[in-house]
Amino acid sequence: MSSEAGTVLTMRAIGKSFPGVRALDGVSLTVAEGEVVALLGENGAGKSTLMNILAGVFKDYEGEIEVGGQVAHIHSPRDARRHGIAMIHQELNLVPELSIADNLFLGRERALLDRRGTEARTAELLRGLGLDLSPRTLVKQCKIAERQLIEVAKALSQNVRVLVMDEPTSALADAEVRRLYGVIRDLTGRGVAVIYISHRLEELEEIADRVVVLRDGRHIGERHRIDRDELIQMMVGRPLGEMFPRAAGGSTGEELLTVEGLSVPGEPGSGRTPLREVSLTVRAGEIVGVAGLMGAGRSELLESIFGVHRAAGGAMTLGGRPYRPKSPKAAIRRGVALVAEDRKAQSLVLGNTIGFNVGLPSLGRFLRLGVVAARRANAAVERQVRELRVKAPGIRFTVGNLSGGNQQKVVLAKWLLTAPSLILMDEPTRGIDVGAKAEIHALMSALAAEGKGVLVASSELPELLAMCDRVLVLCEGRVTAEFPRGRATQEAILEAAMARRQVTA
Amino acid sequence: MNKTITTITVALCAALAAACASKAPAPSASSGDKSTFVVGYSQSNNAEPYRAQLNLQLQHYLKKYPDIELLPIADARQSSATQVSQVQNFITQKVDALIVSPTEPAPLTAAVEQACAAKIPVIVLDRTVNTDCYTAFIGGDNVLIGKKAGEEALRLLPDGGNVVELRGIMSNQPQIDRDKGFREAIAANPTIKIIADREAKWLKEQATPIMQQWLAQHEKIDLVYGHNDPMALGAYLAAKAAGKADSIKFIGIDGLAIPDGGIRAVQLGQLSATFIYPTGAQEAAETVNKILHGQPVEKQQVLGTTQVTKDNAAELYKQYDLSGQN
Amino acid sequence: MTAVRTPPPVKARGENRMRRTLSALGAAQAYIGLVLILAVGIATKGEIFLNETNLTNAVGAFASRGILAVGVTLVILTGGIDLSVGSLLGIASMTAAMMLARFSLEPWQIVPICMVVGAFFGFLNGAGTTWLRIQSFVMTLAMLSVVRGLDRQVSDNVSVGTQIAGPDGKLTPQAEAFQVFGTPGHNLFDRIYYPVLAFIVVCIVFHLILTKTRFGRHVYAVGGNPTAARLSGVNVTAVTIAVFTLSGMLAGFAGPIDAAYSASADPQAGQSYELDAIAAAVIGGASLAGGKGTIAGTFVGALILTLLDNVLGLNAVSDNWQLVIKGLIVVVAVVLQRPDLFTFLRGGSRS
Repeated sequence: MSSEAGTVLTMRAIGKSFPGVRALDGVSLTVAEGEVVALLGENGAGKSTLMNILAGVFKDYEGEIEVGGQVAHIHSPRDARRHGIAMIHQELNLVPELSIADNLFLGRERALLDRRGTEARTAELLRGLGLDLSPRTLVKQCKIAERQLIEVAKALSQNVRVLVMDEPTSALADAEVRRLYGVIRDLTGRGVAVIYISHRLEELEEIADRVVVLRDGRHIGERHRIDRDELIQMMVGRPLGEMFPRAAGGSTGEELLTVEGLSVPGEPGSGRTPLREVSLTVRAGEIVGVAGLMGAGRSELLESIFGVHRAAGGAMTLGGRPYRPKSPKAAIRRGVALVAEDRKAQSLVLGNTIGFNVGLPSLGRFLRLGVVAARRANAAVERQVRELRVKAPGIRFTVGNLSGGNQQKVVLAKWLLTAPSLILMDEPTRGIDVGAKAEIHALMSALAAEGKGVLVASSELPELLAMCDRVLVLCEGRVTAEFPRGRATQEAILEAAMARRQVTA
Repeated sequence: MNKTITTITVALCAALAAACASKAPAPSASSGDKSTFVVGYSQSNNAEPYRAQLNLQLQHYLKKYPDIELLPIADARQSSATQVSQVQNFITQKVDALIVSPTEPAPLTAAVEQACAAKIPVIVLDRTVNTDCYTAFIGGDNVLIGKKAGEEALRLLPDGGNVVELRGIMSNQPQIDRDKGFREAIAANPTIKIIADREAKWLKEQATPIMQQWLAQHEKIDLVYGHNDPMALGAYLAAKAAGKADSIKFIGIDGLAIPDGGIRAVQLGQLSATFIYPTGAQEAAETVNKILHGQPVEKQQVLGTTQVTKDNAAELYKQYDLSGQN
Repeated sequence: MTAVRTPPPVKARGENRMRRTLSALGAAQAYIGLVLILAVGIATKGEIFLNETNLTNAVGAFASRGILAVGVTLVILTGGIDLSVGSLLGIASMTAAMMLARFSLEPWQIVPICMVVGAFFGFLNGAGTTWLRIQSFVMTLAMLSVVRGLDRQVSDNVSVGTQIAGPDGKLTPQAEAFQVFGTPGHNLFDRIYYPVLAFIVVCIVFHLILTKTRFGRHVYAVGGNPTAARLSGVNVTAVTIAVFTLSGMLAGFAGPIDAAYSASADPQAGQSYELDAIAAAVIGGASLAGGKGTIAGTFVGALILTLLDNVLGLNAVSDNWQLVIKGLIVVVAVVLQRPDLFTFLRGGSRS
């Protein structure tokens, strides 16, 4: 089979097995020069495995790879690099303690370091991406969005022909996504092929030339025209109802949480945004959204309510009584739960079982004479896990082996088991496939209907608009706007989120 | 948080101050005033009972000379590198005489030569160095002691028998010498056989399980030869537990006059005999005094040993026990 | 719930069962080494090796280090390390001997005192790692040195015997009773060798604490992911201080055993025991990264180390080769515990 004109990459009948799992089965993929191909599928569909094979992460696999019409033996990241293939992983692969320049040339340094040369080249690449950073800046000082672009710069520095981006926008706010698109268009203009993995269907309409759908390790089909409903059906293998099922204007009850003039100092080294006199209320049965760009202080707000950071000023009440949590432990005791932003880093002990993770915050309820009543605890965990339809063979299954959506459900199960009255959710659907996303949205509605208060931070505006009774907008640690349901629009929220000048006065 | 740090800092400072206060005042070893002399001693490792005893004795005997001041004993804690720098410190302080018990011969040779070049008289105590540039060497003869132990074995086993040997750390010179002397002596009676030997690293708690294994393996063990008393006593504990302590003889070396030492063990009948490994402290004190007052000294002073038996144990203990005198 | 999920396909369920069996095997791999050593022991020195006295002696010789290993396992589970346990055992052993020699205390009084001494230094380890935020490796390395220095200071570098004779030349009643803690040949009720019993009881108690209590779960959570643990309401500082204190307390508990075993407390007692303790935990499957390991594993690891020593000794293997073999065992044990062992082995032959 000779390659057709312009085809830069052909993957043929690729297969890969892990112990007990057939991750990929005879998947083929071709990509042309300057083309953006989106790879779509639920978590666990095999997208990441396919791309990891291409990037040389796995030593052995079945099938054949051709680059530029020639058979390429890719069995290590080095091989991939030699063939001009670069991958930007979902978990960015940068060394935080090294400078941008050092990161860009990591593994390709000359024996005697050429500092000036690499820094000059780095500065040039950064400028090309519109990044105003010194090459000597340490990566740990850069924001997530900047790190993403540094990864792109790293790929560009290697004369890349095929660039793989695994969920590049999952950590980005809308404005930053725009900038990334600009960069991608610039790249394709230069003939670079881009393989793009994302869960955000609305993005694909804008950026992808072609969409390839995988399911259960198999190639299901591809489309040039993006039809959301059809793609979702291909991904999940069944039609999906309304994505955001919340009915408008549910009745709300008493004030559950009030926050008055909450101020929390930032932390210089870690890039934590300070909160300045934030006030808000959450009523029982209400879903309140928190919008804002990266670094606006959304996570900091939720964490401060959860007792992670010590407040410097302001007052809170919970259920009518004063509330001043000095640790998460104290917050949990008052019936508050936090579904944290990064489930792997902040919420789960990945190496342990579902039962262990779900039971962790509520063990106190199952103590008898200091001993955990295992049977009772397990039964409760099992019930909760079943209720949330976590796809797993049992509660003794290791959490690290679950897909992202199921991991998030484990996190939710863990917090629901504490029977909270107020649930704080930070990016509850990030990096999760459509099916699980819909389930989590349904769950949020159900919780509100039960009379619990929900405070949810998200960078996906459509999600906030559809789910929330009210949306607060944060910018640089201040509340810059508040919209009731129905009056919030994407444009209005974005404007408030970027309202820097108005508020600095 | 700040309070905690303050508290801890204060506590640390107090501890430091206390530690400093308990030390002797830092000497200003002025070379002009020769009515008193300052002597430095670098010990290889304070934590060995034998060396602790040596330290005690040296302090005791030097007290007899009011014009000699012994600086706080420097403990090299088994590290040659530490010891070299300690010797160099003494040279910088311009001590009037230096006593060194080397950890290892080779690394300390250069340091001793430096002292020699600085015209500081050096007494090498217990272990040797690879240079002639010292004023006197004082030490025991481990080959001789091993030989005496072997002769005692010949006496205890006239009809021959099975011997097991617990060795010190294999690379230590005393281990090599004590093994050599013993084997030379027992060669006189070919019916005496060493049926097993293992390294127990001079330690009692290492010797016990080794002896337990030997007792399980060998029908007949007649004599245990330990390169030091603790190892011989560790073997004794194992044999006693197995009910065989009475049919086996135990020989050790060192003969320290401390409650937990070899002389007492002989007195109690646990060891058949031990051999005093002389500390040389008394000789060292005398030699230092002579050197500082310009009298001639003998360059090689090899010390003999005394066999400790049930008969002379009580007397020897009294002679060497310094616990009440310092 | 609007979305109706199809139940997982049968094939996936079968795969999961297979994966579960594999991971169960992974836990069993720690035992392979033990079985191998037992087999070698029986094959080469059958009746000598497989005999109650020999096995009791072998386990007894390692009991104090085994108890240290339990404490070290707790610390390792939280993602820390405790290098000071050898020194803590040393000072506890010295404390025991001195309490006996100077104050003629009864054994039942000596043990709690030693445990308090150990727990005190262990607490300082915990306080340093949490409140002063010193890495546990550094903190306990410093403690190793500090406590050894104190031990040598209080003992004047002279070992202290525990077989104290009264005026009549016989052992004092306290010294007589103290021998039960481990002087070879002295048994509890004329039957049970106390060090072995103590080691087994400590293992059982801490196995139950780790598996049955909230504290145990919190230990695993802190080691597995400290951030997640904190956000789940776990008091990470308290748990960390508690494991170091417990580790110190266990070292204190092992002190009298060590003193009785040698019938004396040596100022060098316990030196480098921390390495044996860590080796036992690692052979037993504990991961220095934290969150992974069991007391059962550590128990097996300790048995492997001591029985290996016994088998090699009975076969008169030279000390130099013993060192080589022990080192190799650690590596083999760790490789055997890789969950992906079979893929790892197959990976080489397939490509």
